[in-house]
Order: sequence, then C-alpha cells, then structure tokens
Amino acid sequence: MCYRRPTDMMHRWTVPLACLAWLAVGSATASAAGEAPIQLQLSPRICTLAARDKQCQTEVHARWSAPHEESLCLVIVDRPDVKRCWEHYEQGTYNIELTFVDDLTFQLRDPELRNVLASEVLRVIREALRYRHKRRDPWNIFE
Amino acid sequence: MDTPLDRLLLTAFLLLAPWGAAVADEDGCKGPSGDCVAVGSWNFSVSLGAGIRTNPIVHESDIPLVVVPQFSYYGKRFFIDNLDGGVTLLDGDSMTLSLIASPGYDRVFFYRSDLQNVFVGNFGFAQQSRATVVDASTPEAVKFTQRPRYVTYLAGPEWTFKYSGVTGQLDVLHEITGHNHGDEIRAALGIPLSHAGGTWGANAGFTWKSAAIVNYYYGSPGLYDAGAALNPFVKVAFSRPLSGRWKLTAFVECERLANAIFDSPIVNQRYVTTTFVGTTYVF
Repeated sequence: MCYRRPTDMMHRWTVPLACLAWLAVGSATASAAGEAPIQLQLSPRICTLAARDKQCQTEVHARWSAPHEESLCLVIVDRPDVKRCWEHYEQGTYNIELTFVDDLTFQLRDPELRNVLASEVLRVIREALRYRHKRRDPWNIFE
Repeated sequence: MDTPLDRLLLTAFLLLAPWGAAVADEDGCKGPSGDCVAVGSWNFSVSLGAGIRTNPIVHESDIPLVVVPQFSYYGKRFFIDNLDGGVTLLDGDSMTLSLIASPGYDRVFFYRSDLQNVFVGNFGFAQQSRATVVDASTPEAVKFTQRPRYVTYLAGPEWTFKYSGVTGQLDVLHEITGHNHGDEIRAALGIPLSHAGGTWGANAGFTWKSAAIVNYYYGSPGLYDAGAALNPFVKVAFSRPLSGRWKLTAFVECERLANAIFDSPIVNQRYVTTTFVGTTYVF
C-alpha cells in the first residue's frame, strides 16, 4: 500500500503554488510597468540658428499628460525663473516666450522638486559655419 | 595674348592649383575675427561722408566721395570683393595665394559713370570724357583724338601675407578683355601705426603699368607715345568704433603719377589726392 504523508503532500504542491504566486506577482508587476508614463511634449523641439543669428527667441508650447491625477511642476534646468505647478491634474499646458543660446532641458518634477518625472530637451542647432581669411588688400583705397 | 607673361601666369596656375587645393583647408580661422570671415556669407557696408578724389585729366572735374557702398562674398575658395573676383588657392594665417580679376583703374578719371566711381560714392550719370584738346587758344594747337576707354579687366595671381601686424599684397596682372593687352603690378604694405583714440594705419605701395596700359588711357598715336609708368602712393587712415554697427572712417591718400603719365598732353596734375571723412555702417 502506498500513501503519502502530509509532508509529502505539502512538498508536492509547494512548487506549483510557488509558481502561481510568482506568476501572480509578476503579472501585477507587469501591469504596473505597462502603465503609460507621464508624457512631456515640447513644440518646437529644435531651434535652428542661421549664420548671423546670435540667439533663439521663440514661444515654446509645453504639454504634459499622465494616466491619472498628478501633482507636479514644470521647470527648466538652470532657469529658476520658470516654474509652473499643477495639483491633481491629469494633463496641463504651458506657453512661454523664451530667449536662449543653448539647449534647454524641461523637466516635470514632484511638487518638492526632488524627483524628475519626465524630461525633454529643446535643442539649439547652429548652422555649421566654416571660416576663412578675408582678403588682405592694402592696395585698395578703402582697405 | 601669347606673351611671356601669359605663359608665366598659365604655368603658375597649372603648378599651383593642385597644390593650393590640397592645402586650402589648412587655415587657422576657427571663428569670426578681424582677419576671418564666415564662408558662404555676404558682407555689406556703406560709408557716408564727404571726400574728394582729384582728377589729373585736363578739363575733368574732381570726383566727389559721398556714398561709398562696399560688398564682399567669400565662398570656400571663390570670393567677390567689390568689383574684384578671385579664387583662393592657398589660405593660411601668414599668407594667401589667389588668382584674381580686377578692373582697370585709370578709367575712373575719364568716365564718371565707371563703376569704380560708384564705389567711391558717385551716382552721377554717364559722362563722356571732354579731354580732347590740348589747348584751343593756341594757334598751332594739335587736336588730341577723342576715343573711348572701355571697361577692362586684368587678371593674374595675387600673393598676400601678414607678418607682425603688417599686411602685404602683390598682384601681377594682365589685361584679359582684349583692349590693350597691357600688364600691371600692384604692390602695397599696410602698417599699423597707433591705437591712440582709434586705429591709425598707413599704407604705402606702387602701381606699375606697362606702356600698353599707359598709352591706352593717356597716349595718342603719333602725338604722344608713353612708356611704362611706376606710380607710388602713400595713405594714412583712421577708424574708430562708434555705437552699434557704426564706425568713424577717415583717410588721406596721395599717388604720384610717373613721368610717362604726367607728360601726357591730357594730364595737368602730378599727384592724385583722395580724402574722405565719414561714418561707415556695417550691415
């Protein structure tokens, strides 16, 4: 006669239960990871400087959206004068006239400004310039 | 157009062009400065002021300087510098070598409408030269045949250098538009003098013109056959930045005409003096 002791029964179901639990936890984790992150979009995303341009001057339109209500602030790195906050919103927009010479990094941060929730860069592209010597012309009367 | 100078220029071009193309990129210009300019950009400026260029031709009036527009364009090797154009074969910190084309200068004294007069500020209408008679009151006066002097262009190599702030220029040119087939050498030094109250500088040099060019402008077959001419000149200039894109500009230049030109029956002044005081706006 063959029977199994309870301990044997426990051992028998231990592995499948552990697997089910792992799958359940994994499924929950996957669900959380599948949530759309907070989105930040900029328009324009690029400012192109022509040869004679010294700086970019343009109105920047920032738009963010989240899967559920968030409290957060929009800031620009190294531009402490720019800060716009929302409390319990799922999305927001912000328009600002900016003058700048280098890339601008826009960030969505928590209200305490500790954690970065999303980030986008407004890039400055300068027309690739080459230089050469002017003509030396001391014979010219107006040189 | 098969002269020794033609062959020399052609040989120089054939020898230097490949070498120049290979080293043209090895320049020290990394950004905008007094010596360097962006490739592919046009540059405009205009000087507004009062000045005059004396005219050595009999019966011709002096040339006023009021508005002096200037423009230039620099490509990777090609350039336009007012009425001059050229291709730079070698572009370096200490020297450049180019092939250039430049208008014949002396026509400015005969035609007020010559573009070189436009670029010294005169927007007057075309005016044919009146310098046709030696002296009508003289009984045995000989008529100096009236004839046109067409726009000419000269072309050839241009070598420039810069050493300890002194700039130098040497052009060896040949007339390529088929009107006189003459040769011309232009040489000058630009010497910084002082920064007292602005920038003071002096230029000195000479223009050598072959007999063909001198006769084209100042000669008359059977009446006056000139030889070659060597005209030295000296100039003192001052400039000082004003507000914004304006700067103060002033200069005095004096050119001494060689005997071959001064002895012409249609020339009555030994020196050509050019003066100007005004402001320059750089666009």
